[in-house]
Amino acid sequence: MVMIRAATGGERLVLEGAADFEGLTIKNAELTPGAWGEGFADRRHPHTYVHELMLLAPDLLRDLGLPAHLSLGLGKGFVPFGTDDPMSRPVERFPVNHHLSQILERAVAMAGVQAGPAELEGSLFNGDEPQRPDQWPKVSRLGDSWSLRFTLRPAQGFEWEVSRAFVRSPETRDAQGLDASKWSSAVRWNGPVLGKPVYAMLEWSQSTAPGVYTLHSALFETQVQTGAHQPYLRLERTDRPEEERTLDPFVVLRPIVDNSILGVTRWTIGTLGYAALAGRVWKVSLKPFVEGSLIGITQVGGGIFNPKVFYGKEQHWSLTGGVRLAWGMTAHRMGRYDEGPGAMAMPMGAR
Amino acid sequence: MRRAGVVLLLVVAGCHSNDPIGPPVVPGKVVLAATVPIAPNYGVHDTFIRNGIAMVCVWNSGLLIYDVGNGIKSGTPYKPVLVGSVVPSSDGIGAGPEIHNAWWFWNPTNGEKKYLFLGQEGPGKVGSQSSGDIHVIDVSNLTTPSEVGFFHLTGAGTHNFWMDEAHQILYAAYYDAGVVSIDVSGTLSGDISSRLIHQVTPGTVGDTTYTWGVQLYHGSVYAIDMMSGLTQLSTDSTGALARVAGSNNVPARFSSDLSVDTSAGYVYTGTWDHQQRTGLAGSVVYVWSLSGSGAPTLVDSITTTQVGAVSDVKVSPDGKLLMFTTEAGPNSGFYFYSLANPAAPSFLDYYQTGTEGIHTGKWAEIGGHLYAFGAKNPSNPALIILDVTGLDN
Repeated sequence: MVMIRAATGGERLVLEGAADFEGLTIKNAELTPGAWGEGFADRRHPHTYVHELMLLAPDLLRDLGLPAHLSLGLGKGFVPFGTDDPMSRPVERFPVNHHLSQILERAVAMAGVQAGPAELEGSLFNGDEPQRPDQWPKVSRLGDSWSLRFTLRPAQGFEWEVSRAFVRSPETRDAQGLDASKWSSAVRWNGPVLGKPVYAMLEWSQSTAPGVYTLHSALFETQVQTGAHQPYLRLERTDRPEEERTLDPFVVLRPIVDNSILGVTRWTIGTLGYAALAGRVWKVSLKPFVEGSLIGITQVGGGIFNPKVFYGKEQHWSLTGGVRLAWGMTAHRMGRYDEGPGAMAMPMGAR
Repeated sequence: MRRAGVVLLLVVAGCHSNDPIGPPVVPGKVVLAATVPIAPNYGVHDTFIRNGIAMVCVWNSGLLIYDVGNGIKSGTPYKPVLVGSVVPSSDGIGAGPEIHNAWWFWNPTNGEKKYLFLGQEGPGKVGSQSSGDIHVIDVSNLTTPSEVGFFHLTGAGTHNFWMDEAHQILYAAYYDAGVVSIDVSGTLSGDISSRLIHQVTPGTVGDTTYTWGVQLYHGSVYAIDMMSGLTQLSTDSTGALARVAGSNNVPARFSSDLSVDTSAGYVYTGTWDHQQRTGLAGSVVYVWSLSGSGAPTLVDSITTTQVGAVSDVKVSPDGKLLMFTTEAGPNSGFYFYSLANPAAPSFLDYYQTGTEGIHTGKWAEIGGHLYAFGAKNPSNPALIILDVTGLDN
C-alpha cells in the first residue's frame, strides 16, 4: 500500500490517498477463516487499487475564531461509521466483523462539526460494495445511503463513538438486494498505562437486513509495547451470513440470483500475537510477527448451512507469521479524516 | 375503401400463417431460436408459456409479456415481441417485488383468461424462513396488465404453482409453510388471503419443510420439498390436502424441482447442491415410478458434475423428452434426455450456456415445433429459446 498526503499552505485543503495493490498480490484473497465480503468467504478480499482519494477541508471556520470546527470531505474512501480499518490495527488477521463495523471504498460526501471534546459527522455515499479491485463506486448511487457518527474525546487518548448508518443494497451493484441498517459503538484507548504505551479497543456492532436477519458482533483487542516487544490479543464473537458458494468453496455466487441466505454462523475467535520492532534496513523498518487463533463456529437460528458438515468440525486453529515492512511517513488513521497527519494512527502496529 | 381494407387484412393474416417459423428442423439437433436480453434486476427467473404468449418473470422488473407465436404482435419464438408489462407492488418487502414465477389461469367454467398469478420470492433463510406474496394480475388486455389482488400467508413466502383449473384451485409451494390450496373462483380483488383452503407440511420428521414445487396428477398433488424429498398428497375437488405416501426419501441431498410424466406415471426430481447436505458432490435427477396408488419408488438417477444445482426439471408435453437445467458451474445449461424408457432416461443432448447457467426451463409447443425456454442467470441475463423439435422424434 502506498499512501500520499498533500496540502495547501495552512492546510486549508488536504488531499489524502492510498493505493492498494492487493488486487495483484492477493488476487484470490488471503486465507482467513471467518472473513467474508466482496465475493469471498473464509478469505479476506483484496481492496480496490484506489483505496482512498479524499479531498478534505479540515477547518472551514478557522478564520472566524469560533469554538467550533467545520470540516468537509469529498472523494472515495471511508464513510464516517464505526471503528478504524483492521489494516491499521495491531492484529494481522482481519476480524469477522469487518463488514459490520466499517464502511469503506465508497464515493462519499461528508461533513463534520467539532466543538470541544464532541464531534458529529454525517455523510452521504453509494451503498454498493466493490466487487473487484479495479472497480469504482457506482456514482449514480451516490446519496442512496447515509451515516452519522458521534465521537466524544473527554481525555487525551480516550475516545468513544456511536454510529448509525443505512446502506442501500450493499451486496448488489444494481441496488436490487437487501438493505443494511447498522449500529456501532466503541471505546478506544491509545496512551500510556503504567508508563507503557497501550492500545485497547472494545466495540459492539450490529447489522440488520430488515425482516431477514440481524448480525451482532462484539470485539476486544489490545496491544502493549515494552521496548521492542509488542504482544497483542483479540477476542471476537461475530455473526456471519452464509451465502451460496460457487464450486470454489472460497467464492460466493455473484451476481446473486435471489435474496435468500443459507443461514447464520457465529464465529468465536481468540487471537494471541507477538510482534517485535526489529530495526531498519536502509529506510525500511522491519517488524516480524507471529499470531495464532483458536476458532469456534456454531450455527445460529435456522437455515441449512451446517458448519460441521461444511468444515468437517466446529473447532479450528490458525497460525500466521510474517514481516511488516514500512517506509516513509506515518500512515494516516484509516477510517477517520478528522485528525492531522499521523495523529493516533496505527498505534503500534504500523505496517 | 372499406372493402380494400378487408382484403388487406386477409393478405396480412395469410402471410403470417404461411411464414416459416424458423429454419428447417435438423433431426437430432438443438437450435438457438432467440436470445432476449433482460435488464439485470436481477434478470429473468422463470417463464410461463401458453397459446404463444410467454409470461416472463423478471424479478424487480416485474412481468414482461411476449408474443412468441400467438400472433397478437406477430411474434415468434425466433423473434419474440414485447406485448405488455407490469411491475407489481412489493407488498412491503424491502427488496422489491422479486417476481419469480407465474401461472396464467384459463378458467374452463366461464372461459375467462383474465387472471395471472405471480409468485414473489422474497428474502429468506433457506430451510427455515421465507417471504413473498402471490400477486393477482388482470391480463384481460395483454398490453395493459394490472395488479388487482394479492394472497398473503403470514410467516412464509411462495414458490412454484400448479392449478386444478377445472375446480378453480391454485396449489402453491410455500417454502417453510409447505403446500397450500387456494380458492381462486369468481372475481379476485384486493386481499384474497381468506381464500386459503388448506395447508399441509409434506415432511414427516419434525414438520420441517422448505417446499419448492407441486404438480397435480391423477388426484394427487406431488410435492417436492428441499428437506424431505418427494411426497404424495391426496386432494379432491375442494382442495383438501393430506399426506399419503413418500417423504423423507432424499436424505443425502436437498431437493429442487419436480415434473410428472403424465403419460407414463413417473416423476423426475432434482437436487439443489449450492450447499451440500452431506458433502456429496454433483447434482442429481432422481427417477421415481408411481405405483397403482400413486406412491413413489426410486428407480434410477442421473448425476451431473461441476454444477451447483439441478435448477428445474420438466417433461415435454408429449412425454417423449426430459429436460433439466443446471446452474453455477462449468457444466451449466440445458440437458435433454429421451424418455423412450421413462424408467431409465437416455442422454440426447446438452446445450451449454456459460458458467452462470439456467435458473429455470419450460417447454412450449408452438406452430408444430417444440421449444425450450430458459432463464439465463446474471451476469448478462437473458431469456433463451431453443428449438428442440429435432430431438422430439
